[in-house]
Amino acid sequence: MLLIHDVHKTYRQAVEPTLQGLSLQFPRHCIAGLLGPNGAGKTTTISIICGLVNADGGQVEVLGLDTATQLAQIKQKIGVVPQSIALYPTLSAQENLEYIGKLYRLPNKILREKISHYLQLFGLEKNAHKAIRHYSGGMRRRANIIASLLHDPELLILDEPTAGVDVQSRNMILEFLRDYHRQGHSILYTSHLLEEAQQLCEEVAIIDHGRLLVQGNPAALMQLHQCLSLEQVFLHVTGRGVRD
Amino acid sequence: MRVLATLLNEWRLFRRDLAGMVLLFLMPLGLTVVMALIQDAPFREYRDYVFDVLWVDNDGGPMAAKLHDALSSGQFRLIDTVSGRRLDSTALRNLVQTGDYKMGIVIPAGISAEVVNSANQVANEMSKSTGAVGKLPARDTRSLTIAMYFDPVSKQAMKLSLLNAIDKQLTRTQAEMILGRLSDKLASLDSTQQTRFNLQEKLQAVGVREYSTGNAKAAQLNTNSVQHNVPAWAIFGLFFIIIPIAGNMIREREEGSLMRIRLIPGSYYSIITGKLLFYVLLGIGQFYTMLLAGRLLMPLLGLPALYMGHAPLALLVTVTMIALTATAYGLLVGALFQTPNQALPFGALSIVILSAIGGIWVPVEILPAGLQQLAKVSPLYWGLDAINNLFLRSGGFATVWKPLLILLGYTLVFVALSGWIEQSRRR
Repeated sequence: MLLIHDVHKTYRQAVEPTLQGLSLQFPRHCIAGLLGPNGAGKTTTISIICGLVNADGGQVEVLGLDTATQLAQIKQKIGVVPQSIALYPTLSAQENLEYIGKLYRLPNKILREKISHYLQLFGLEKNAHKAIRHYSGGMRRRANIIASLLHDPELLILDEPTAGVDVQSRNMILEFLRDYHRQGHSILYTSHLLEEAQQLCEEVAIIDHGRLLVQGNPAALMQLHQCLSLEQVFLHVTGRGVRD
Repeated sequence: MRVLATLLNEWRLFRRDLAGMVLLFLMPLGLTVVMALIQDAPFREYRDYVFDVLWVDNDGGPMAAKLHDALSSGQFRLIDTVSGRRLDSTALRNLVQTGDYKMGIVIPAGISAEVVNSANQVANEMSKSTGAVGKLPARDTRSLTIAMYFDPVSKQAMKLSLLNAIDKQLTRTQAEMILGRLSDKLASLDSTQQTRFNLQEKLQAVGVREYSTGNAKAAQLNTNSVQHNVPAWAIFGLFFIIIPIAGNMIREREEGSLMRIRLIPGSYYSIITGKLLFYVLLGIGQFYTMLLAGRLLMPLLGLPALYMGHAPLALLVTVTMIALTATAYGLLVGALFQTPNQALPFGALSIVILSAIGGIWVPVEILPAGLQQLAKVSPLYWGLDAINNLFLRSGGFATVWKPLLILLGYTLVFVALSGWIEQSRRR
């Protein structure tokens, strides 16, 4: 699903590099977790994967395609759920999804069916014509996920999809991700909620200071580091110091 | 499909902002109407006005009467009685000094006699050199002065207008008298001549008349307040479209919807094209609303109706080009700044500055030479130049291609710069 080899990235005016030779690999058709403390380089890694940011060096392959030369094909095959609600707040969910679907060049009939299906699946059909800005936090997160699913992506990338949502919305999102994975799709996911990652992910990579620290199945990592939870593994490899 | 989808999406976003929509149309309309009304007076030719002039005639002769008739038939209303009292020199001076009246004329006693005396002197000199008999009564010349008084706040153009009118009439009357005397002398020399030789007629063989350089309709137009203000402030209002464009671009970046668009495969230029197209259409709609107001609303306010030339297609292309340049400038401002607090004041102030140097506030022709050259830096100048070529000079495509090419150049530079700035953000 994902191959990252010796990737470097330093932002202009940054004091330190964000990624310092990051290398990791996730197999296809798995739910993978990219974990790390604040400032570890998770969001930068995801931004490079989906072409929002250019890497200074190294190689990134997504679903067997090189980001340097095959970005358009990659974008067609991935769905990205950004950490922020990347929707027009003054437009309704229906209008946002119609516009995004048309940018993906989906035929009108198929687009209408998909919008209707996903709005129902995520419990937003009654509020389909309400402006996003009037939605609750959980509703916004769900609408944000739908916007990334319309073109039926092979790989779904989610950056903190459950941040700031209530228990019900969180449960709904996680249930959906499991279902989506069962349908044969790959999922790459970042979160600070390590218990959630432990339950959901088949493979995790913990990064810090732009480098890979450990990677593997959560259970195997717990055994390797003689920890009772993924959170303990996380603290063990990243340290207990508070991050900015 | 992506272009049309973006255009529709922009319309949806714009429709949600009802206050913004109203402001974008009503504010320029209000500004155009107010400016046209305020600048109506300065734009009027002085000959359109009738000025009150205090008049004291201490002469009472034919010369004073001729001056009175000549001034009264023009743009001056001569007043010799105020509050039921006949004016004298002192009262006239006081009334002008206090600013109650802007100007006054005092005709000295003996002016008619002096003009006759001068004419007789000339005729006698003529008789002496031609050997004609008879001498008209004449004495030594006395110097007399018509006194003129002006309120210190009177404009120079108004003073010159009155001075020229009096000077012209004095010269004319004196010339008529001299020519009359000479005609009489010539007639007395040739006893066989049946009719009097008309010298005055002979001297009027060459005259002056104004001809049009353009078509007949345009020739009837002077640059009036409506002809200047409606297109000028419509261009100004159209450029203010940069405020919603830049605001929306920054909001899209801040809210993350721009990121969403960038995650979707396909050229970002199709998105930019859709946005450009929407705002260009909006700008065209806004501009034609102003023109319609100039055509239909201004006459209701006592102003002349806007004349829109005779090349509607060239006008549409010109308006489209101006709207395109304004939209491209909006993209640049939106790309250049990170927050609305930076972009909006800069955008608004830059338009005010570009409009001031570009001849929107006052015609470029009356600016100092240096500023006239600086005006060419402003895209608003070229927009107004093209519109003036179509409206005032009644031109067609042939007269607007140069300003349109320059506007196209501005557009390409603005789009290229904004694209470069957006690209550099990914680094």
